[in-house]
Amino acid sequence: MPIRKALVTAANPRQRTLPLQTLIDQRGETKSALQIVLEEAAGAGVEEFCVIVCPGDETAYAEACGALRSRVRFIAQPAPRGYGHAILCGREFVGDQPFLHLVGDHLHVAQGAVSCARQLIDVAVAENASVSAVQPTRESQLTSYGAVGGRLIGGDRPLYQIDTVLEKPTPTIAEQQLIVPGQRAGFYLCFFGLHVLGADIFSILDENLAAAPDKSLGLSPALHTLAARRRYLALTIAGRRYDIGAPYGLLLAQLALSLSGRDRDRVLTQLVELLAVRAD
Amino acid sequence: MSLRVTDLIASADPATRDTAIDTWCAGRTVAQLLADCTELDSYRRRETNLYQRVRALFFLTAIHRYHLPARPDLPRLGRVPYDGFRHLLERRFEEAISVFAAAQATHGPSETLSSALASAHHALAFQTLADQVRRTVRSTRGNAWMFRLGHPLDQPLRVRPELLAPATASSPSAHPLLRERTPVRMDLTHCGWSDIFFLGMDFPEGARVLNISIDLGVHGRDAAPRPPVEAFFRVIDEPVIRLASVDLEATACLTTLDEVFDFGRDYLGLLKAALIAAGLVPPGIERSGASLAELLGTIFGPGRGFELVSNVNRIPKGSRLAVSTNLLGALIGVCMRATGQIRSLTGEMEESERRIVAARAILGEWLGGSGGGWQDSGGLWPGIKLIEGAAAQPGDPEHGISRGRLLPRHTLLGRDRIPDAARQKLSESLVVVHGGMAQNVGPILEMATEKYLLRSEPELGARRRAVATLDEILALLSAGDIRGLGRALTENFFGPLQTMIPWVSNRYTEQLIARTRDAFGEDFWGFWMLGGMSGGGMGFIFAPHRRAEAQTRLLEIMLATKRELQASLPFAMDPVVYDFAINEHGSVAALLSGADALLPVEFYQLTVPALLRRDARDLTPRERTDVAQFTKTARTTPAFSAALPTLLDRLLPSSGDTSRNTSSLDTLLAENGFDRAQHEQIRTDLRAGRIGLAMNRLAPSTRIEDVPAADLFNIHTAPAALRAAGEAALRRGECAVVTYAAGVGSRWTQGAGVVKALHPFAKFSGQHRSFAEVHLAKSRRTAALYGADVPHIFTTSNLTHTPIEAYFRAHHAAALDRTVFLSPGRSIGLRMVPAVRDLVFAWEETAQQKLDEQKEKMRDSVRAALTNWARTVGEGADYTDNLPGQCLHPVGHWFEIPNLLKNGTLARLLAARPQLRTLLVHNIDTLGATLDPALVGWFQSSNATLGWEVIPRRIEDHGGGLARVDGRVRLVEGLALPRESDEFNLTYYNTNSCWIDIDRLLALFGLTRAELADADRTAAAVRTMAARVPTYVTLKDVKKRWGHGQEDVYPVAQFEKLWGDMTGLAECANVFAAVPRQRGQQLKDQAQLDGWARDGSAAGIEALCRW
Repeated sequence: MPIRKALVTAANPRQRTLPLQTLIDQRGETKSALQIVLEEAAGAGVEEFCVIVCPGDETAYAEACGALRSRVRFIAQPAPRGYGHAILCGREFVGDQPFLHLVGDHLHVAQGAVSCARQLIDVAVAENASVSAVQPTRESQLTSYGAVGGRLIGGDRPLYQIDTVLEKPTPTIAEQQLIVPGQRAGFYLCFFGLHVLGADIFSILDENLAAAPDKSLGLSPALHTLAARRRYLALTIAGRRYDIGAPYGLLLAQLALSLSGRDRDRVLTQLVELLAVRAD
Repeated sequence: MSLRVTDLIASADPATRDTAIDTWCAGRTVAQLLADCTELDSYRRRETNLYQRVRALFFLTAIHRYHLPARPDLPRLGRVPYDGFRHLLERRFEEAISVFAAAQATHGPSETLSSALASAHHALAFQTLADQVRRTVRSTRGNAWMFRLGHPLDQPLRVRPELLAPATASSPSAHPLLRERTPVRMDLTHCGWSDIFFLGMDFPEGARVLNISIDLGVHGRDAAPRPPVEAFFRVIDEPVIRLASVDLEATACLTTLDEVFDFGRDYLGLLKAALIAAGLVPPGIERSGASLAELLGTIFGPGRGFELVSNVNRIPKGSRLAVSTNLLGALIGVCMRATGQIRSLTGEMEESERRIVAARAILGEWLGGSGGGWQDSGGLWPGIKLIEGAAAQPGDPEHGISRGRLLPRHTLLGRDRIPDAARQKLSESLVVVHGGMAQNVGPILEMATEKYLLRSEPELGARRRAVATLDEILALLSAGDIRGLGRALTENFFGPLQTMIPWVSNRYTEQLIARTRDAFGEDFWGFWMLGGMSGGGMGFIFAPHRRAEAQTRLLEIMLATKRELQASLPFAMDPVVYDFAINEHGSVAALLSGADALLPVEFYQLTVPALLRRDARDLTPRERTDVAQFTKTARTTPAFSAALPTLLDRLLPSSGDTSRNTSSLDTLLAENGFDRAQHEQIRTDLRAGRIGLAMNRLAPSTRIEDVPAADLFNIHTAPAALRAAGEAALRRGECAVVTYAAGVGSRWTQGAGVVKALHPFAKFSGQHRSFAEVHLAKSRRTAALYGADVPHIFTTSNLTHTPIEAYFRAHHAAALDRTVFLSPGRSIGLRMVPAVRDLVFAWEETAQQKLDEQKEKMRDSVRAALTNWARTVGEGADYTDNLPGQCLHPVGHWFEIPNLLKNGTLARLLAARPQLRTLLVHNIDTLGATLDPALVGWFQSSNATLGWEVIPRRIEDHGGGLARVDGRVRLVEGLALPRESDEFNLTYYNTNSCWIDIDRLLALFGLTRAELADADRTAAAVRTMAARVPTYVTLKDVKKRWGHGQEDVYPVAQFEKLWGDMTGLAECANVFAAVPRQRGQQLKDQAQLDGWARDGSAAGIEALCRW
């Protein structure tokens, strides 16, 4: 079944301006981060978009959508009640079909011609299951991401069946619980900021919300439950994610885009010049 | 098919596998045993299974240590290659084994080489086991990441935001306190030390422990039992780590990574190990050159650090309740909670969290160079639990390497297994005490491991009984049958435990049990040994209606027994009785803020005086808050207001104790004829470098050659006529025995200072007997055999005279001054702070045993601190900062015989027994020395002045030997040999047993029997002779006790003259005899005891005695 809808979360009050940041994409065009995220999804066949935002951010975000503006709907999360709650806000938009979920503060750069979202959607459709994109990540960065444990099932593909999902674990906990045979020591499969999820995630989020209505609702505990109930997969994407909310994240994302695009030589030349000047 | 020795290790049949190596070796010849060794050696080199390799190594040890030497046709004489010995010291055990094996192939087997091979295989076996535990600890899931982290930016841990909140509205820069409170653990039974990691990993089904978490209080001091272990954590606004141990009264501020990894520089090694094991400063970052402030900034935010405070509520060291492991657990726990490695910031831990804290505690113990059993962190768990070894499963780091996992399985025994009523009954009957003894339990654990791997009978049977005992004890506890429990525990102590390791008991413990039984009769239900050995933490079980009385009475019994035995056994403190309660929560944390954010009152006593001395304007906001917090609390809380006087005392330096100590030392010096002028001369020489360790040695040009067997009298080939002559002399009463009893067993008790002569070191004929008792029993037997009294003289020193005299008056009053004589020492020295050059010489220029990596680091760090101590206090300064008795030293056994002349003992003896002509003089620990008639006959017929007994050298025999020095056959001290390697060319080792012809010796001194009555002439003769023998400078380790059972060891300089140097005097006629090892070997170290019992030496000594 094709994936036609994408849900983008951008309602973190501490990072509400991040998707509005301006970058130059691989083609050398100036765009907002949000537009690059939406185009990633559009390039993978998504037709309708929903962005979860903080109340009052709709107008600014709408202006940052570029040519896709007409296909984007905005839903305000009334209060910052967690990542999972932001997803839950998109329930009505998604309906009962699987959907692509992207986080608004991550940009993705594929290694080859096939975009990261396309790689993910192709596998999700072929496997008919929820699939999260993951990237082997050094343990020193574990506390910035959700991470999964499981076993390799893909044969020649880097596809895993997930049995455990933990949000920002310490390496102490990760070593004990996020065991992935064959994974290099000190590396864990951490979320990439791209997921294809079935609509059943909403009912799990609902349950979790009902169980602890006063607590912040996370997505990772719901995904952990999903792994226990359904076949839930992880795919190591041939590409890299860039968290533009991290220190120097925006700079690194811009460099990654430029170095994989039209202006590669120009940027490289300037980098070398910068290095030469600051060689001491 | 016939069995091979390796089948005992590799056979699929358990009965074959459990065959003892002793059974296998029985009846085998030297050639067969050597063939077995070859087979075992190639087996252990090709075998991949860790435990099978280790077992083969222990088999090799046993064959070389016990079975080959027991064969009469094994050649006794050989040499240990020096380079092999160096390999051994450097812990290159494989290389050492290769060198020794090559020597065996070239020169043939010998007892000497077998001793070297036994020692190398033994050390390699333990190193293999220890390495494996370390590898497993490092690769345990949850620990491994810390060893990969090498840069501050890689630090993934972040402090929990709750700990960054302001503690109070008025002081935003003070942060809340996180407090972890942890009980300690008691073990009801440990199934024969089955909680040793090695045993649990090889024999998980036999590794079973019943373990209880308890709160503790000192009876009569504390209002109620409470979790004795506390750890506090708080964020501070300085980029440093502050550490404080309120019990050790030590604080430190760490500003660099090197300081964090420097365990020996202060008393805070445990806290450092905890913060490293908790991952705050991960072990992987050591020596990275990174900045501590940067690392702390990553975790806590720029400019911040943390403070860690420990408190064990003044529970004394050596309680056998695993206080230090549980403190380590609490410290690690609080650090892990603070950084989100444990999910819950407060409250109890989850099971998986306790396990990871326990694994980190093992890591911390390894980092700190200490070690415990795997049940020791039991205080983290609540209530009563069964802790058992667990088989390694696929996926475990241990799988394929050892049969069991490193970490055991904990099963909490709920009220369905042990009802409330049973718990209540246990509490109503049990009295937990600390007997006051502090002993090193390490050798016991090594013995238990070795015996298990050798599967020797009767130890194997005892181990099986101990495993079965656990089920019995569990059933009795479940049924609330405390009387039965007491009986089972007592049987376990006197049965399986003592069968496996006889040294777990001692005279003190057995007297306590006997006296308690006398006092309480049927109402004393049983004895319970806590931990690795008895004498420290112990339990006594009583009928409930007499428990309260028992708490008081038992303290009296312990105090009285301690007073009787304190000269002969090492006590670290006065005994105490504890109050205890079962803790049903395990380790629990609380977040304290506002007025509740209080550290222990002792912390303020320790830190506030220093703050008050500073200008108020210079105090940081945190320091101001601490002072304000303390002041405010002192107004309302009695415990805090009561601390004020002590706090004020600390503001002013006090000199009361020091002056008292000095005056009693001066009195002792005056009473014991201390020669101040000579002392000052020695100090001047020491400071000027004219004397010192390096100057003890003979000139490098000295020719040192070995002495062939043909030059010695051999007791084995003694003609019958000599024996008959000796027997006749004994019948005529011509012989007496002199035992050196001036020493305080420095090696035996690691410097604790007990009278070695009175130390009840082993059981003979069912009772613990002291060295003095054994020597008297031998003389008693000789007297009975030949129908003539054997006068026995004990030479004493200022340190030993009073206790020895008191002992003889109490136990041998009739014999004292009739057949038993005391010869009080009249020479004394005052120890000095050593010269740094001598410390460096001792540590760097002489061959030293290299330790494992962590222990080596610890030792380097301690040595740096000691060097600094010597510089600060002053090289050559008088050593007075200890108990007066520990500041004095005997001046060497050369003076013992001259003292007999000077103090009139010999004159009195000769007056009463004019027929006396021969003395046998020997060390207190040379248990085999007797008036053997063959030796009496040999010596009397030799016409020599002195006759010396030597034995074929084994690798453990250090300290010189018999040599031809520039052509003259003489004894030479190890410290006088020009090169350390010289000693390894000497076949014979000096036993220090010496035969003396009284008249010839007097003549040598220029005296006659009649002139002995002239004190001045005798003194002058002794002075003249003393000037002709060399004076050696030596370093001795001296223990200083402080706090609650804490101990420090200091190397101090002292001087001695040695009797063996008489052989260097040209006019002294000497003869030498080679005697069997059993006669000449000395017991210097407690770790020797087990081998001494196993190789038949103990039985041999018993046969020489009459009780």
